[in-house]
Amino acid sequence: MIAVESAVQQQVHALYCDHHGWLFGWLRKKLGCAHNAADVAHDTFLRIMVSRDALCAMHEPRAYLTTTAKRLMLDRARRQRIEQAYLAELTLLADGLEGFPSPEQILVAVQALEHISTALQGLQPKPREAFLLHYLDGQTHAAIASQFNVSTRMVQKYLAQALLHCHQALEGPT
Amino acid sequence: MHDRIAHQAAEWIVQLSADDGADRAYARAGFEAWKNADPRHAAAAARMQGLIDQTQLLRHDASAASPAAPAHAALTLLRATGRKQGRVKRAGAALAMALVLAFPAWLTWQSYPPAYLMADLHTRTGQWETRTLDDGTRVTLKSASAVNLRFDAQRRSLELVHGEMLVEVAPDAARPFVVETAHGSIRALGTRFVVDREAHDTVLTMLESRVLVQTASQASAATGTGGTAGTVVHAGQRLRIGTHTLSPIEDIDRRSIEDAWKFHQLVVQNRPLPEVLDELDRHRPGHIRYDRAQLEGIRVSAVLPLNDTDRALQLLVDSLPMLRVRTLTSYLVTVDTQMQEP
Repeated sequence: MIAVESAVQQQVHALYCDHHGWLFGWLRKKLGCAHNAADVAHDTFLRIMVSRDALCAMHEPRAYLTTTAKRLMLDRARRQRIEQAYLAELTLLADGLEGFPSPEQILVAVQALEHISTALQGLQPKPREAFLLHYLDGQTHAAIASQFNVSTRMVQKYLAQALLHCHQALEGPT
Repeated sequence: MHDRIAHQAAEWIVQLSADDGADRAYARAGFEAWKNADPRHAAAAARMQGLIDQTQLLRHDASAASPAAPAHAALTLLRATGRKQGRVKRAGAALAMALVLAFPAWLTWQSYPPAYLMADLHTRTGQWETRTLDDGTRVTLKSASAVNLRFDAQRRSLELVHGEMLVEVAPDAARPFVVETAHGSIRALGTRFVVDREAHDTVLTMLESRVLVQTASQASAATGTGGTAGTVVHAGQRLRIGTHTLSPIEDIDRRSIEDAWKFHQLVVQNRPLPEVLDELDRHRPGHIRYDRAQLEGIRVSAVLPLNDTDRALQLLVDSLPMLRVRTLTSYLVTVDTQMQEP
C-alpha cells in the first residue's frame, strides 16, 4: 500500500515538474489572467491526483492536462453564470426583500443551484417544470394540473419521473 | 431491482406533499414502513429528499413577491446549456444569452436615460475624459456623464444631459458660451467652472472668473423681454440652480476642487453619507445598495479616490466604524450600519 502510494506520488511529482510550467503558460494565454491561470492549473493537478487510475493510463500527459483544464474552465464559467444570473435577479428584487442574503447564503444557494441544475439536466420539459413549480415555488399538485391542463395524477407522474431522473443523474461520483 | 427501488421511493415522496391532508398522513406512515423494510430503500429516498430540501431552501424569503425568481433565473439559464444541443436547446441558449447580455444593458438603461445614450459626448461608468472642442474650450467629463454641443456663428451652447463636468472656456468675444441644464443656464465670461447635474437641481462651482446664472424660469421670462436678469457668481463660490430658485451662495476651497479633478477624487465637506455613496456608485461599474433613511443622518467629510471605489469604501469604513460594507460580488455591494442597542 505504501509502495503504491509513493509510486503515485512520484508520478504526480514528475508530472508536475515536467508540465506545470507549460500548463500555466497555456492557461495564461487562454484566460489572459495569471491569477486565474494559477488557480486552474492547481485544480487540474488536484483533480488528476484524486482520480489515480487516469494517472497510470496517461500516454499523452499534455493532452490529458489540457482536457482536464478545459473541463475545469467550463465548470468555473458555468458556476459564474449561475452566480451572475442569480445575483442579477436578486438585485432586481432587492428592494422587496426584508434583508439581503449574506455572502454565505449566496454561496450556499449557488452551490445548490449547480447541484440541482446537474440533476435536472436532460429531463423532459414537463416533468422539469412540474418539479420546479412544486418544490421551488411551492405550488400544489392541483394548481400545476390546471396550469398544464392535465389531471392531478399526471402531475404526480411528472414529479415521480423528475425525482427518478435526478436520482439517476446524481448517481456515481459526486 | 435498483431501478424499482428508486421508482418506489419517488412515488412515495411525491405522495408526501399531496394536496390532501389525509393522503399525506397515509403516505407518511406508509413511507416510514417502506424505508424500514430495507436499508436500500432509505438510501434511495435520502438522495431525492436531499435534493428537494436544497430546492426548497432556495425560497429564501417567502414574504417577497416572487421569492424563487433568482433561482428560476439561474436554472432557466442553465437549462439552455445542457449537453445535448438540439435546435430547441440552442434557441433557448440564445435567449438565455440574450438575457445575460441584456442585464448590463438593463442596468445601463436604468442609470442612463436615453438622452445619455444619444448625446454627442459621453463617458462610461468609471471613465474620465477630457476633450478640447473646436473653439479651444476644454471639457472634462466625469464618470457616466453626457453633453450635447450646439455651436453656431452666434453662440456656443453646451447642454449637460447627465453627470458632472469641468469646463475651461476659451475666450471668444463674438460668441458667448452657455451651459444649459433642465434647471437653468450658466453664461460664461471667460472662465473655468464645474457643473454637476443632479436629479433636482444643478450645482455650479466657480474656479476662476465669473458667470451669469439664470434659472430655467428666469430664462424663459427673459426671452420675452430680451433682458438679461440673473445672478453673477464669482470664483470660489458655489450655488445650486433649481428650476425656479437659486440657493444662497456658499464659499468653497478652490484648491481642493482643482485637486479633486486633477487626481480623480471626491472631496466632501460635511455631506450626508447617501450623497457620497451615490457619487461612488456613479463611478462604479456595479451597484452600491443601501437604505437611504438609515444612513441619512451620517455626515461625512473626506477626500476619496473615485478611480478606486473599493478603496474609497474601505476608507469610509475606517473612519465610520459603525458602517458595514459587504461585497457580494464585484458588481454588488451593500452598505448598512451595525447599530448597537442603546
